[in-house]
Amino acid sequence: MIQFILNGQAVQTEVDPNTPLLWVVRDHFKLKGSKFGCGAGLCGACTMHVNGAALKTCVTPIAAAANKSITTIEGLGTPEDLHPLQAAWHEHAVPQCGYCQSGQIMAAAALLDANPNPSSDEIDAAMAGNICRCGCYPRIKRAIQSVSENALAYDAMSQTEGRA
Amino acid sequence: MNTVNVSRRSFLQASAVAGGGLVVGVAFTGCSSTSEPLPVASTEGAWTPNAFIQVLPDNTIRFYTARSEMGQGVTTGLATLVGEELDVNPFDMDICFAGVHEDYANPLFGMQGTGGSTSIRAHYTQLRQAGANTRALILEAAARDLGLATSSLTTDNGYVLAGEARHPYSDFIAMAQSLTIEANAPLKAAADFQFIGRESRRVDAIAKATGTAQFGIDIDIPDLHYAVVVRAPVAGTKVRSVEASAARGMPGVTNVLEIGNGVAVVAESFWQAKQAAAQVQVDWNTGALGQFDTDTLRADYTAALDAGDGVEGPDEGNVEEALSAASTVHEAEYWAPLLAHAPMEPMNATVRIDGERAEVWTGIQFPFAVPAIVSRVAGIPAENVQFHQTYLGGGFGRRGAVNYLIEAAEIAVYSAKPVQLVWTREDDIQQGPFRPASLMRIKAGADADGNLTAWDAARAGGNISPDSLRTLLPAAFPWMGDIVAEGVAQLSEIYFKKFATDNSSTEGLFEDYDHANTRVTHMTVDHGLPLTFWRSVGHSYTAFAKESMIDEMAEAADIDEIAFRLQNTQNSPRLNNVIRVAGEQMAKMNPPEGHHLGFAAHNSFLTDVAEIAEVSVKNGKIQVHKVTCVLDCGQAVNPDIVRAQVEGGVVYGLTAALYGGLNLERGTIKESNFHDYPMLRMNESPEIEVIIIDSGTEPTGVGEPGLPPIAPAVANAVYKATGQRLRSLPLQLA
Ligand code: FES
Ligand code: FES
Repeated sequence: MIQFILNGQAVQTEVDPNTPLLWVVRDHFKLKGSKFGCGAGLCGACTMHVNGAALKTCVTPIAAAANKSITTIEGLGTPEDLHPLQAAWHEHAVPQCGYCQSGQIMAAAALLDANPNPSSDEIDAAMAGNICRCGCYPRIKRAIQSVSENALAYDAMSQTEGRA
Repeated sequence: MNTVNVSRRSFLQASAVAGGGLVVGVAFTGCSSTSEPLPVASTEGAWTPNAFIQVLPDNTIRFYTARSEMGQGVTTGLATLVGEELDVNPFDMDICFAGVHEDYANPLFGMQGTGGSTSIRAHYTQLRQAGANTRALILEAAARDLGLATSSLTTDNGYVLAGEARHPYSDFIAMAQSLTIEANAPLKAAADFQFIGRESRRVDAIAKATGTAQFGIDIDIPDLHYAVVVRAPVAGTKVRSVEASAARGMPGVTNVLEIGNGVAVVAESFWQAKQAAAQVQVDWNTGALGQFDTDTLRADYTAALDAGDGVEGPDEGNVEEALSAASTVHEAEYWAPLLAHAPMEPMNATVRIDGERAEVWTGIQFPFAVPAIVSRVAGIPAENVQFHQTYLGGGFGRRGAVNYLIEAAEIAVYSAKPVQLVWTREDDIQQGPFRPASLMRIKAGADADGNLTAWDAARAGGNISPDSLRTLLPAAFPWMGDIVAEGVAQLSEIYFKKFATDNSSTEGLFEDYDHANTRVTHMTVDHGLPLTFWRSVGHSYTAFAKESMIDEMAEAADIDEIAFRLQNTQNSPRLNNVIRVAGEQMAKMNPPEGHHLGFAAHNSFLTDVAEIAEVSVKNGKIQVHKVTCVLDCGQAVNPDIVRAQVEGGVVYGLTAALYGGLNLERGTIKESNFHDYPMLRMNESPEIEVIIIDSGTEPTGVGEPGLPPIAPAVANAVYKATGQRLRSLPLQLA
């Protein structure tokens, strides 16, 4: 039996420990927001956070997730309570078909958690593992920058407040 | 085929009949003998004035969208059309994907299908009229209920305004149902539009940003089993023998069975099915295709072009004479390879057969085919097949080829389980149907002033129409036996080889420029690979040949590339204007040292697009920094979605221009996943600027036209950067 934290809840499963995390989450825990795109770690559609880091879960056996904290797109935000990136995705009308977008947002969220104000090259580097066949890249980048600019503004604000 | 002609007039008649509020389908032309009930939700107390609109007692306004949402933003676009005249904000609507019904036919196709960049222009008048007629009826009902003159009432986002009072539309359902719907309520003047042409977001963005948008692959129903198909390495090959005992013994596996396209492994989870599929040994009956390599294809195309006897398309004037009289003559040959579509969501379909009834969940471009296909496979009446459209995780033409649905239906029937068939990415890259490879030759002539006088163009390659007929005929004509359908498909192969050009094979090769003497010849060379539509279809390769040739001719005539295009597009004023505006943009650009600008312009799907690519070449690597697009697509219903579609078309086309190419080795596609069939990624994606010219005409296509100019624009820039004229796709420097 393998135990882990899924979107803040302690869960357990008895599936074959070689089963990729993606399929455990999709087919056993019925969270369908994370997608299957290539099954080979090449497209990023399956990206989740494992202990806060973005990981391609189609090539991550569930055994490797034991006792770790997994966050999926469903755990990041909901339509009623959007994560700032999800709000930015709406604001900038990012998605086309939408299939890659859970993975894109998870990769972007991990980037901003680690680096709240990434440069254009840093965004490229962090997002290069996520394919968007619809070609939403310019908008994805703009949406990430809009949130990081906010982050910058908030940082500036809190610094000013701290000084006062 | 359902050849219902949904003219505006017939739609109005239909609306008039449907106005009684009964949930019944109405034939658009009255020539149909059966009126199936509309597949709309039977919400208690709801009023359904037509196939597209439902007003619920709580004043929810439901919109049934008939076109498949594959990313092109058509859901937002169509809701905008209805909402404009119904006076309901599209963002406040409850939007549902329509089931199968003749009222949901694409007015330009006469059947329920999405493609050819037609949706907005096809429904532009029809849906506004549906909204206007419904609003007029609500106003009339309100006037009677409130005892006021209709002229004293107005509407605002789902409410009737009477002085200070706001009454929800739903207050008047009962009265509206007793009235006859207005058949020709006046439509708004463009100047009065509140939603059309305005900047807004997408109605599906939040669902898609939160993982809550449901794609076909996300469907989950009780007792669902998953299927993976072991496929022949050579497409279209049949099974000779199967050894599956190891697979049968694997965990979760419930069935291993032979279907038309291979051997299906059914298991309790996708992962189990995939693992077990890897253990199935199949001996395949490889046919002629098993002897071909990419080089064979190209050599056979070359031989066909050399032999010169093809089917003549347009043949105007006297090309030979014009060429011999020309002061500038230039000839060149261009190659475009086989391509896979690779939409991000792999093909899948979920089918449940329950006795004489069936349910299907899938994202598909041709819903009309679903009942007929499942009925054929399962031997049940088509009207017993219920279809649930989902979001499509990309289409690009691939989800117009319905083989995945046929397979899912077969597996559901034979395994007696509700089944979700999922293609692997390897299946997707290797099995097709593909964008056909093409070899094109153009010989052009111009007079001493640089006016084009002759255009002699030829294309060799396969045609997509026979395969489309092969899969869609049995669906379109339920009475047609399989053997007859196959026979018709084979006849069409002969027809397009010997008698007439398959329009999709040469479209875009010759239409845009003014040359009085024009000859187009087509040589069908078919090696038996499955072929189909691929975003922008023939234009995806013909624009590369045509716009490269135009650049070469401009140079040969020693005329500026923009001036040459302008002087030779006098008969295409809208294209001419787009070239002029883009040329002015280009003149203002000041690329940094080492960056070069390439230009191309093309008309496809009635839309004119010019693109300027800013390119540099370093260590033999082509880098595209910025693409500026100028287009005229008539009325842009949702300008931001138009921009997004052009951006997407550029990225899709650039992926093909820089990387796209499948290679055959003894009939097997060598590439298999994104490591060897690479996609453009964010770090390689250019900045893209889209400039929309509004010429005030009705909308024209948007989903595809952004794609065709990008490959030649980049190739033309590479020429300036390196002096190398790259005439083969993908673009690779010597
Ligand atoms: S599905 Fe995991 S990287 Fe593509
Ligand atoms: S939105 Fe379609 S693949 Fe990214």
